[in-house]
Amino acid sequence: MSATTFDFDQMLQTIKDKQWSLADIDWDAPGAETMTDELRAKMQPFMADLVWIEHVGARGFASLAKKAPTPTIKRIYEYFHAEEQKHANAELALMKRWGMLDAEGNPPEPNVNVKLAIKVLDDYGDTIPLTGLATLIPLLECALDGALVKFLLEEVTDPVCHEVFRHINSDEARHITVDFQVLELIGAGPLHKLVIESAALLQPQVIIGLIVVFTPLINKMRDNIVAMGLPEQKLYNAVKRFATIGSRGPHTARIPAYHVLKAQAAMIIDRTSPYHRLLADPMVKLTSFVPAKVLGRPQAWVDELTHEPIAS
Amino acid sequence: MTVSTGSTSGFRGEVLCGTAWRGRAFTGRSVAVIAPGREAAVIVPEVVRTARQVKVFQEEPDWLLPLPLPLPRVLARPAARLSLRLQVRDPWTRRRLTPDARFNRHRPRVDGRYYAALQEPHCTLISWPVYALVPGGVRSAEGIEHHVDCIILGESAAQREDLCA
Repeated sequence: MSATTFDFDQMLQTIKDKQWSLADIDWDAPGAETMTDELRAKMQPFMADLVWIEHVGARGFASLAKKAPTPTIKRIYEYFHAEEQKHANAELALMKRWGMLDAEGNPPEPNVNVKLAIKVLDDYGDTIPLTGLATLIPLLECALDGALVKFLLEEVTDPVCHEVFRHINSDEARHITVDFQVLELIGAGPLHKLVIESAALLQPQVIIGLIVVFTPLINKMRDNIVAMGLPEQKLYNAVKRFATIGSRGPHTARIPAYHVLKAQAAMIIDRTSPYHRLLADPMVKLTSFVPAKVLGRPQAWVDELTHEPIAS
Repeated sequence: MTVSTGSTSGFRGEVLCGTAWRGRAFTGRSVAVIAPGREAAVIVPEVVRTARQVKVFQEEPDWLLPLPLPLPRVLARPAARLSLRLQVRDPWTRRRLTPDARFNRHRPRVDGRYYAALQEPHCTLISWPVYALVPGGVRSAEGIEHHVDCIILGESAAQREDLCA
């Protein structure tokens, strides 16, 4: 399907029709006992990372909505913003079900790399040109969908978890479809526009954001989950999927940011690449020295997470 | 203008459509207002005065001017932006109250009370898309069901088939 024929209005209608709520799920259904103490200790940090990556991803869609090329795509991004928030809320509710939250049910404290990502999104998210974020987000979603969630579903047998992720995966499939159709739309645009937008990506805050925020954030997560037992082959498959879907349409390949991120993704999954020795590992170490205090208070969106299906 | 108390939605409480909320007291009740900014700006300050709790589902913000200033058209939006900046301190709330510069075609409306009403402690601004009314209240796309006693649908929300079918 080419960009010119994709029906975004139809997609928006499908998104509206497929809405689901945390209130549809019986959070007290049997199966929570399948979460053994050993598994709980192993999965707690993983779930915390997952909740935060969805929550930060949600904020990314909020920025994309500000840049959307048409009102329909803007509306779709507004729904995706809410849906990513829903996924974070649902994952938090799973953590609550499994006894991974404190007595008050507070969300887990984000690590310093997540805090840096929040800071950068607060300060610059809305000014990053469309091509940058529109390329980054599908890469994150392929990784999330293709590796992290598959890993979780293999480790955990709780039927409620599987029910929740049937909903989440069906949402994510639509997100990935739209993400790549928007890339097609951008790639099909006039060359001068692509050049201008790509040149605009060379602003210091974008480059520094990529090196200081994105690189260590992803690397820390990558090493954490590989240490937990995720086969590296799964990461490889996820990034391959990004390249495969991207090469399906005729226009995506015209976007320089797509090639840059594809190349970086290839280095991220290959642990022997000098990228890790020379850039990513030192950045993980360096950012671990950043005191949370200098980052200031994040904006109020970070407080919108909740595990309660019903608000009164 | 619709003036009716609809019972056509899936909600088991009271639904007020169009201007049916006018002159009503909501003492002790929790109320959801579903309306774009230009309509919510009229409804919310009145409802906040009497209701116990107000949830404002405002999917689309609009520019508001605090006073009927005799401004040329080009200055109306910057003035509205300044007014928002001065009245709302929280940047995330401000972002959700800022209309899209490209797609919002509505002229700034004169209303000086909306931002103050939204910042009352018993008032919450919710900008997630609303997709259904259920027996207990309002479902929005962040996956949460918001329970209320009464729902006010602004004039454009009252036309929505998905909410009033």
